[in-house]
Amino acid sequence: MDVVGLTPVIPVIFAFALPLTSIIVKGNRKIIQAYALLGTGLTLISALKLFELVYSSEKPLIYTFGGWTAPIGIIYEVDRTGALIALVTAALMFLIAIYNYRYLEHEEGLEWYYTLYLGLEAGLIGVLLTGDAFNLFVMIEVTSIAAYALVAFYRGRKDAVHAALKYAFIGAIGTTMYFLALGILYGAFGTVNFADLSAKVHGLSFPVTGSPVGNIVIASGVALALATWAFLIKAAIVPNHFWLPEAHPAAPSPISAVLSGLVVNVGVYALIRFLYTVYGGELTPGLAKIVGTLGTVVIALGAVSALFGALMMNAQRDVKKLIAYSTIMHMGYLFMAVGLGTELGLQAALFHIINHAIAKALLFLVAGMFIHAVGSRDINDLAGLGRQMPTATLGLAMATLSLVGIPPFNVFFSKVLLFDALMEKSLALAMVIVVSSVTALVAYMRVFYKIWLGKPVKNVTLKEPVSMGLVVLLLSMAVIVIGLAAPMVLQNYIEPAVAQTVNYKLYIQTALEYALRLKLP
Amino acid sequence: MSTSEFLWAYLWVVLLLTLAVSLYGIIARPNMLKKIISLTILGDVVNVMVVFIGYRFTYPVAPPILPSLSKESLSQFVNTAVDPLPQALVITAVVIGMAVNMLLAVLTIQLYRLYGTLDVREIAKRGGEE
Repeated sequence: MDVVGLTPVIPVIFAFALPLTSIIVKGNRKIIQAYALLGTGLTLISALKLFELVYSSEKPLIYTFGGWTAPIGIIYEVDRTGALIALVTAALMFLIAIYNYRYLEHEEGLEWYYTLYLGLEAGLIGVLLTGDAFNLFVMIEVTSIAAYALVAFYRGRKDAVHAALKYAFIGAIGTTMYFLALGILYGAFGTVNFADLSAKVHGLSFPVTGSPVGNIVIASGVALALATWAFLIKAAIVPNHFWLPEAHPAAPSPISAVLSGLVVNVGVYALIRFLYTVYGGELTPGLAKIVGTLGTVVIALGAVSALFGALMMNAQRDVKKLIAYSTIMHMGYLFMAVGLGTELGLQAALFHIINHAIAKALLFLVAGMFIHAVGSRDINDLAGLGRQMPTATLGLAMATLSLVGIPPFNVFFSKVLLFDALMEKSLALAMVIVVSSVTALVAYMRVFYKIWLGKPVKNVTLKEPVSMGLVVLLLSMAVIVIGLAAPMVLQNYIEPAVAQTVNYKLYIQTALEYALRLKLP
Repeated sequence: MSTSEFLWAYLWVVLLLTLAVSLYGIIARPNMLKKIISLTILGDVVNVMVVFIGYRFTYPVAPPILPSLSKESLSQFVNTAVDPLPQALVITAVVIGMAVNMLLAVLTIQLYRLYGTLDVREIAKRGGEE
């Protein structure tokens, strides 16, 4: 089987087989943990192979399910952007699976936890690889349902159930709107395949589906507005952010890392697909006006989110809530960069997605180590723990310094790129990055000061679990290495990926080659 | 205006009104269960809209099934059937919607067990404190 089709299928199979396996092994935690590591590990190997293949090929790779090609069946079309984010996703999911075991040592229901965890991974990878707008809807729902249920993992806690219900409710409204957008797109263009949609939008011909019907400018406007709103909800951009500061802290810490580092990227990635692949490049004046307006709205909302998130970080006592507001801030940066519609903007967004995913996952995992040791999320209860937990403190220092953008660490370089990209538009937008970073620095320093120099509430001797420390060390290494090698990473991975994603003609051409093989009577 | 055009316009008006009612329910009703019922109505309205997008007036009508892949059956299909793809999309959306609604229902039961009420104003007042 093709590695493109295989990558999302591995976690699906592992997820569905887990409840049965758990009955056979009588709920043995060690076997279930090994099983989850095997599932995420195989996915990582497959994603790595996919990454190599896509980067060595000039064109995007295509997998046709059941041999049915583009406009008739669902295809997976992977370009370098998707493969790169998929690799980061699979690697983080594997590392966090190692971390899970000790974090959940006192909890029941490890098998259900891992069923949802693997389902979440399948959804995330499906979103990144799919070449079909309707399959994107299905995969967003797979990701979301697993995420809702994982937020409610502590089902006896009021805050967890309340946050999960809020998250699920608002998420369901968002995906319903996206489904309506798909209906409108189908009504106008007669297709939901990305390559075919892009061909129709740019006035190129594509077999089987005929030509657009009615006024495609109005249809595109309504569909894009609805779809973007759904993506804004998924990525928690102001004013659709209110579920995130409750949902992310209420989940178990490893899940907070997955939600804040990876799941919110779904909204950004989907918007990139729509703005750069389907509605990218040269457009007719009517469509160009709509896409331009949409870009302005997205940039404005992103700027508001960045400032709002940074300000709210300073008002939090719950350490996980503070990090959750930081996620809103970084999502604001990403939407500002994506809304620009330029190649530099997309480079900045892609590099920042990767850096933010690693640094934010590290920060939540470190916070999880402190919370695991003390059993409280209040900063005041965590005071003075730093000296007893050197690995966690090291990770905390790395993650916070990286996220505010201190030079040798990775996020600094993507922030510089974001600054440059926004500078092309206006100075005020670029200053948003600087101002919000400084505000965030104040909030992080308060946490760091409390944990490192604060007076302990009670004297306890703490031990750091080895597996958790190992994951934190690995991610800290990644933060430094990507930072030091930033020019190399940019040149070898980010720039080729963006060059391919911006080239919508190549994307259409690749799908078209398969579509022309269709033989109709 | 012919009868069919009138019915078509009438159906869209009814759908948009139902959409408005469901949005009202989601925003304004304080009871969580009523909110979820409104959400399912919203989902159903959107599903029906997508089915209507694929509908067209033809007579005589036949089910959208292609018995064999030949020129004659294909031309007959094009003349007598509605577009089956939106129906396939809706079937998928219905199944996904069921999963989401079931999760929402389970969480609502759990919310009632923990708080003893489903009034969101009351729950917001008490917050997430243990």
